[in-house]
Amino acid sequence: MTSLQNASLDDFSAELVARALARGASAAQARASDDRYFEMQFDNRGYDLVRSVQNAAASITVFLDGKRGDASLNGRSTEEVAAALDSAFFAAEAGVADEANDVAAAPSLPASRHGLDIADRATMGEGVESLLARLRSEFPLVRIRDSLHSFSDVETAFANSRGVAQKERRARYNFSALFMAREGSRASSVNWAEASSYQPFGNPFHALGLGRLLDEAVRSLDPRPVPCKFEGDVIITPECFAGLAGSIGEALSGASLFAGTTPFVDKKGEMIASPLFSLANRPCDKSAPGGADFDGFGVPTSDLEIVTNGRLNDFLIDYFFSRKLKAPQTAGAWRFTVTSGDASLAAMIAGVKRGILFSRFSGGGPNSNLDFTGVAKNSFYIEDGEIRHALGETMVSGNFQELLKNIYAVSRERVDFGSASYPWLAASGVVISSK
Amino acid sequence: MLERLAPFADRFTSPGELRRHVNSSSRIAMRKGVLLSNGQSRDGGISARVYRNGVYGFAAAPQDDDDAIRAAIAAAEDNADSVGRADAGGAPLAASALGEGVYDYRSARPSTTPAGRVEILRSLDAAIRGKFPHLVNVDITLSSHASEKTLVTSEGARAYSYVPRSVLGVKMAIEANDGLVELYNSLGGFGEIQDQSFEPLSLSAWLDDLYEELRRKAEGGQCEAGLQDVVLDSDLAGILAHEAIGHTCEADYVLAGSVAGDWVGEAVASEKITLVDYAGRGFDDKSSFAIHVDDEGTVCRDVTLIEKGVLRNFLHSKKTAAELGAEPAGNARAFSFSDEPLVRMRNTAIAAGADKLEDMIGAVESGYYLKRATNGQADFTSEFMFGVSCGYEIRKGKLGRAIRDTTISGVAFDMLKTVTHVGDEFRWSGAGGWCGKKQPIAVGMGGPAIKCKITVGGRG
Repeated sequence: MTSLQNASLDDFSAELVARALARGASAAQARASDDRYFEMQFDNRGYDLVRSVQNAAASITVFLDGKRGDASLNGRSTEEVAAALDSAFFAAEAGVADEANDVAAAPSLPASRHGLDIADRATMGEGVESLLARLRSEFPLVRIRDSLHSFSDVETAFANSRGVAQKERRARYNFSALFMAREGSRASSVNWAEASSYQPFGNPFHALGLGRLLDEAVRSLDPRPVPCKFEGDVIITPECFAGLAGSIGEALSGASLFAGTTPFVDKKGEMIASPLFSLANRPCDKSAPGGADFDGFGVPTSDLEIVTNGRLNDFLIDYFFSRKLKAPQTAGAWRFTVTSGDASLAAMIAGVKRGILFSRFSGGGPNSNLDFTGVAKNSFYIEDGEIRHALGETMVSGNFQELLKNIYAVSRERVDFGSASYPWLAASGVVISSK
Repeated sequence: MLERLAPFADRFTSPGELRRHVNSSSRIAMRKGVLLSNGQSRDGGISARVYRNGVYGFAAAPQDDDDAIRAAIAAAEDNADSVGRADAGGAPLAASALGEGVYDYRSARPSTTPAGRVEILRSLDAAIRGKFPHLVNVDITLSSHASEKTLVTSEGARAYSYVPRSVLGVKMAIEANDGLVELYNSLGGFGEIQDQSFEPLSLSAWLDDLYEELRRKAEGGQCEAGLQDVVLDSDLAGILAHEAIGHTCEADYVLAGSVAGDWVGEAVASEKITLVDYAGRGFDDKSSFAIHVDDEGTVCRDVTLIEKGVLRNFLHSKKTAAELGAEPAGNARAFSFSDEPLVRMRNTAIAAGADKLEDMIGAVESGYYLKRATNGQADFTSEFMFGVSCGYEIRKGKLGRAIRDTTISGVAFDMLKTVTHVGDEFRWSGAGGWCGKKQPIAVGMGGPAIKCKITVGGRG
């Protein structure tokens, strides 16, 4: 075991598999990672915290005649590895056999490298300082808190008993800002922005679209509810869609198909959205730090056109559910993008008779039927093509199935978060209400 | 471990903490009788945090040998020294009562074996699907989490804790005439799996109630949007205490601009409302979560946030307490070895009143009785929201048809002034909750039923 502690990641994951097989597993897979993380946390007045973390995580999955058991650990000590193998075996022995339980057969990719080797702390600091300077000079009413510029360097190796071996190293920067505006007793709602990149954020103000968001915070010091309940339009911002996309993805997942709880179960090949709406899964995008080269079963990821011009092409099915549903595997990692349209955001706003610029959804998770109801945060009331005022105590209610079909404009402009990329979407038929 | 860590506390050249922290968890998930996850995890290591020149330096690593401890302290100091903060200039942290002691809530019973855990799910699944064959889907999850911490500080705090929690969750789905309807409920809470009663026989009535509420929900309708008279059951009072008030009163958020900062000493609620963030396991020692010493080494004591409607206090770390001239009461908490302590709630609850639930419902001409919450969020403005998965219309003082999923919202410091009744029956939310604020953290929450006015979302 001493050699395990000094083994390379590839050797460590392969050795975990070998030990599982030697102990009697019918199949096994292991994943190991070395993580290095560095973070600078700040508020208006400067730095609060500088944090560095090293970790050495691993997971082992053991299959015993169709039964599966998992264990994860961090550290490489003899006792920890032995305890994790015990846990995985005990769980598998206790498990429920299922014909879908197995390791994947897949091509082994060449080891890959994404991003920089070492955190560029100087540029990270410059990014923080530049934002703070800009806040002081241009946004004196804005307060920021718990804001982060971080660098994450993760090397991951995978091995399974079919001889699949994968390795990738992905290092990325992340910048996030939590902010609000205050003037005397007047206060805006809290808002935040976040993005990741392979390069440090030397100018986060520009990269995160913070100018727009901070300006909106200052304009939100006097929020008001909508004048009355009405059914109207919403212009969904990229930040808002980022919070909603997971629910749509979940409804299109193999897990939901298996549960029988998705309203899209028999909709493959049919129009489920406006012809203006195209949604893709792009984990392979080399320029995107939010991607992945292989998934949790060691299967190389692939891009997928999920919805093209409103038509549902395919579901998001991972290795396990592909076997369970007897359908091809289409997705093992998610990184969504929505195709830009040809409308300008200004024209979209000008085209709204009555509705809201819908900037963030704060509500209960949409149910399986994709009904939603929640508070429109950081949002603005639009009437006769003009933004009238910031909204407070305003709720939106609707259904995502209908909302996707009711999309009538998609913006040219878009925001790339690194983990996803979305334009503004205009749709009708949402109930907007207040007290 | 306390003995091994203690000598290293003298190595800090400025205020510092050294924490060995291990989270152990298990999760088994079954969908339609198929095990989708079946495993355990362990995540632990050592962390050091120092405070100098107004900045915290923090470092963590998975090893906990002497070399790793020395390296963590050195890295934390390097991190603190790597940046400056001109305005703070080494402002001292607030002093606090030093925590000491061993708080070990490990079960005395033999652990439930992996086979025993799977059998709980398998037998429950068989019971549910046998009894209610028309269900479209059944999800059952059994999860446990235990946080084991050893903490020493340069000031002299010495504490060890082991705090477990385990939860059984069941979600059923049924077809309604307009689509699928689902309902989830959970039970369990403080303690390990072997401390709970998760056998199907003992849960028969609980499962029957869940199915009956699901059936009624499938026959129910959408809420009427707008400001409504509502009776919030105790499950919602707990999340109300947490989301609507608790977050607003976290001192780091107050410093960030939370409107609560303007209201200390002012009436922010009906005088029937008293709201406390409890140390330990709460006033009755029955909450789902326990804490006696926080991760800065401060002895935990109760903090009354609202006393008979008047805002009294905030929740503090040593740093926020210094900035706002308060005394820390043990609210600095970290989720994992790799996390720094943040200002967090512990067991947050509205105190019981004197009203009967039936009288509250009887006092509503037209409104809703809301029984169970899902997720929630808060804002620095004190505007809050939380999802509601189970509830009923009230018409002329009587319960009517069930409602579908909705979200309720309000501005806490307005809404709490509309409270006219506070129930006489206090309940902690059984399975407890998890709060997200940079890190997840286990929290307890509770309260009685209350009657108030609140904004309800819906398409009706």
